Amino acid sequence: MKQGGMLAMILAGGRGSRLHALTDKVAKPAVSYGGKYRIVDFPLSNCANSGIDIVGVLTQYESVLLNSYVAAGSRWGLDSDDSGVFVLTPREKADSGLDVYRGTADAISQNIDFIDQYNPDYLLVLSGDHIYKMNYDKMLQAHKEQGANATIAVRPVPMKEASRFGIMNTNEDGDIVEFEEKPANPKSNLASMGIYIFTWKDLRKLLIADMKNPDSNHDFGKNIIPTMLAENKKLIAYRFEGYWKDVGTIDSLWEANMDLLDKKNELDLSDSSWRIYSEDSSALPAYIGPEAEIDRIYVTQGAVIMGAAKNSVLSTGSIILEGATVTDSVLMPDTKIEEGATVTRAIIASGVKIGKGAVVGSADSEEILLVSKNVKGVE
Amino acid sequence: MASKAFGIVTSTPRRVNVHGLQDYRPAGAFTFAGKFRVIDFPVSNFSNSGIKNIQVYLNKHPKALTDHLGTGRSYNLNSKRDRLQLFYCNHHMENEVYNTDVSDYLDNLADIKALPQEYVIIAPCYMVYKQDFAALLDEHILSGTDITMLYHRVNNARDHFLNCRVITMDQDQMVTSLEVNRGNRQNQCVFMDTYVMKKELFISLVERAAAYSSTYSLAQMLAVVIKTEEYEIRGAQHKGFFASIDDLKSYYEANMSLLDPKQMRDLFNDDWWIHTRTTDSNPARIYDGADVKGSMIANGCHVEGTLQNSILGRAVQIGKGAVVKNSIVLDHAVIGPDVVLENQIVDKYAKITKTKELIATPEKPGYVHRADKL
Repeated sequence: MKQGGMLAMILAGGRGSRLHALTDKVAKPAVSYGGKYRIVDFPLSNCANSGIDIVGVLTQYESVLLNSYVAAGSRWGLDSDDSGVFVLTPREKADSGLDVYRGTADAISQNIDFIDQYNPDYLLVLSGDHIYKMNYDKMLQAHKEQGANATIAVRPVPMKEASRFGIMNTNEDGDIVEFEEKPANPKSNLASMGIYIFTWKDLRKLLIADMKNPDSNHDFGKNIIPTMLAENKKLIAYRFEGYWKDVGTIDSLWEANMDLLDKKNELDLSDSSWRIYSEDSSALPAYIGPEAEIDRIYVTQGAVIMGAAKNSVLSTGSIILEGATVTDSVLMPDTKIEEGATVTRAIIASGVKIGKGAVVGSADSEEILLVSKNVKGVE
Repeated sequence: MASKAFGIVTSTPRRVNVHGLQDYRPAGAFTFAGKFRVIDFPVSNFSNSGIKNIQVYLNKHPKALTDHLGTGRSYNLNSKRDRLQLFYCNHHMENEVYNTDVSDYLDNLADIKALPQEYVIIAPCYMVYKQDFAALLDEHILSGTDITMLYHRVNNARDHFLNCRVITMDQDQMVTSLEVNRGNRQNQCVFMDTYVMKKELFISLVERAAAYSSTYSLAQMLAVVIKTEEYEIRGAQHKGFFASIDDLKSYYEANMSLLDPKQMRDLFNDDWWIHTRTTDSNPARIYDGADVKGSMIANGCHVEGTLQNSILGRAVQIGKGAVVKNSIVLDHAVIGPDVVLENQIVDKYAKITKTKELIATPEKPGYVHRADKL
């Protein structure tokens, strides 16, 4: 790692239980998105594009698939001699036995030895379940220029929704003076994005103290940031204006997919100067059959459409057979919609088969239907 | 287990002449099925067969293939025991007639001799097929013959495969002749420019060919030793998808044949992945009002117009009101609004916006040059 560099740690431990069956078998960051991506591709690609060489991925829940996925750093170009992606699960230690990560801060604390190996000047802490493109190097420049102890990325949210977020109250210089988690009467609309840059030696001291504090939740938002504010450290807010989506629920995951269908979508995954890297399969280009009916779709290689697809996102290996109709839906990888079946306003989980003539989802339903088990055909 | 053979992918032979496309790249670098290059087939065949020492010979325009193949990582040639060597041979550029595969091998004889493998399998850079070379090697060793030649039975040789060689065999599958296809019969056994033999025999044939004539190719030398009956040479039949891409029409037809799902599944399936270099393009977008039928679309494309029976490479744009039929549009080309294309091959980065109509026939497909602006 370069002298004076920044090391990144991605918090990917969460189960994401609001995604229900999608996270029964895989951790939330490994959930599929946008046809060919997994959610964790976004922070990892952002790191690679921002010139960060060393990335630790902190996982603990159902991490086998996530581990094998992120360990192949070559997908993001992070596999040279001085770069790497490292999967960090809770380890048994000589002095303290095996602890699961007790909170976001504890996950970092338990890996101080890992971070110390690289002796970084700065530590970037990210969460593994947001969809956005961001240059962390620019954020680091702001952190350095202002001599901050911590920089927190924030984005403006509509004032009436501000009470759903962790809100940063700043003075006119942009210094954070107060942090309020889900305030009933918000004073500002700057929501924390869960992206932090810390000057490592400052954070290291705080983490060691926090580990020993029995009353702490070992959480950045609840403990570390308030402690820094109480100690009058310099915390600054770094404003981010681009596309950002927390895909924590089935509805928001579906919406984030539908955003891709928009011709002027802000995320713009076709921007070759900031590519989002992923596992690129050797599958054939998407094939659209001679009788297919297509209208407004986002489709990746390996998909086969013989029937009809409208307003939908189709992943690698998804197949729509003759006479089947898929509308306003997301087909995750290796799904099969058999002859005559109808899928409307639904997310079909990876590997799921919808049998001949079956009808799933409905145009009138308010909520998006998640189908995570095979649906039998109608004879 | 390490294979007993190493692989050779030949340079583009003289008789391969694909109008236009070949001005910019060797045959191995031609885009195939929207996202692959022709050379992905021989290299994947070797890698999938556990043959992980591969020599690729290049003559003209090496850049396209050195970029594409790199260290071979895309083909699972990742371990320290694996090796993909690229040999650039340009010593006779000024006089085409001396640019033979034999001269390629002679230039690199030291590297060939240094390889520890007992056998060599040679595959052409311009033919598309799937073949388990490990099985072919086993079959060769079991037969006890000196050389195994891979062939494909065709029933349209009068007006196809005219730049290929054909073989005849006796009832024991032993090869009795090898000659250029003169188009005098429909049913022929087309030689797939693919052979298996011991490395020692290969080296001796190369040296003999060079001594015989400075313009001789290995296949011509083989024709001589078939006549003199010095060696036991057996034909092995290949089954499944096979295409020789040696002129513009065969390039067009081979691509278009993949739009038949049966042929497509025959060449591409989960047990035998064809690998290629990834570009991390985003998925394709098909907008409201687009009409797409019977087509193959690589990632990164934007389609707003009508697309029928066509193949799009990566990041192609088809504008509103455009109609593209029976055509192959290669990477990054732009087909502007209301442009009508039929039976065309549009090379990379071409931009057709001002010319509103380009129509040709399937028998004589049109070609738009790389980066042309029409």
